[in-house]
Amino acid sequence: MVRIKNRYIAVQIVPYTPTETLRLNDHSLAKILLQNVQKYHGVYGLGMIEQGFRVKYINDRTKIAIIRCLHRGQRFVSSILPLITLIGDVRAKFRTLYIGATIIQCNKFIVSHQKQFLDRAMGQMTSAKERQDLFKRVMEFDMDR
Amino acid sequence: MSGYQYLDVKLKLRDPDSVTLTPVFLCGCILNSLTNIFGEIGGQTTLEIVKFSSTDKRFIFRVSEDFLKRVRIAISLIGYYQEVPCHFQVLSTSQKPLDFEATPEEFIAF
Repeated sequence: MVRIKNRYIAVQIVPYTPTETLRLNDHSLAKILLQNVQKYHGVYGLGMIEQGFRVKYINDRTKIAIIRCLHRGQRFVSSILPLITLIGDVRAKFRTLYIGATIIQCNKFIVSHQKQFLDRAMGQMTSAKERQDLFKRVMEFDMDR
Repeated sequence: MSGYQYLDVKLKLRDPDSVTLTPVFLCGCILNSLTNIFGEIGGQTTLEIVKFSSTDKRFIFRVSEDFLKRVRIAISLIGYYQEVPCHFQVLSTSQKPLDFEATPEEFIAF
């Protein structure tokens, strides 16, 4: 038996003009990424990553996504992320946060990343209600998809 | 070591009369195939046609050694030249400059 190695790339989508939600689902994000891989690495690059490529998680509010790809095709994906300037019809860019070998490690990183963000943002909130809302929004992490 | 590889290639067309064969069109055809297969990052290289013979449909071009593999792949996968079915036959590859064997007076040197 041959073990299939995957890589999980945690990315943050940073829109040019700050928006509440991205109106983007996992399928459309995967399609955009594959289109860009074909543009920059051609049919060969697309063929290398197409097997096993999937957007495992995307959060509209926190704008964080986890992309799964094969270990051998990881370079094709990570090298095009900084080159993307248009996601759908929105001007935005990708910030690569973390590349891990298991989705659990990726989750851990995202949770700690979000905690850091919360620490910074909580100070600016005035009421307890707002704080609770923010906490819920930021730490929302359902992986049911 | 020069760092270049020379390829002796022959173009075989199904209908040779309906195409205009010039070095520029040929170069464009190969570069197009490279970009299509290896993309904007992987398919960028310099391709220089050293010798060209339109009567024999044969040409010698040089490419840097790092790109030899990719160029050979791209050449093998070309199926059309100006919408006419075709294929390229690589006659020889060498590190030293190549030359056509027969009728040297017909060459157009670049």
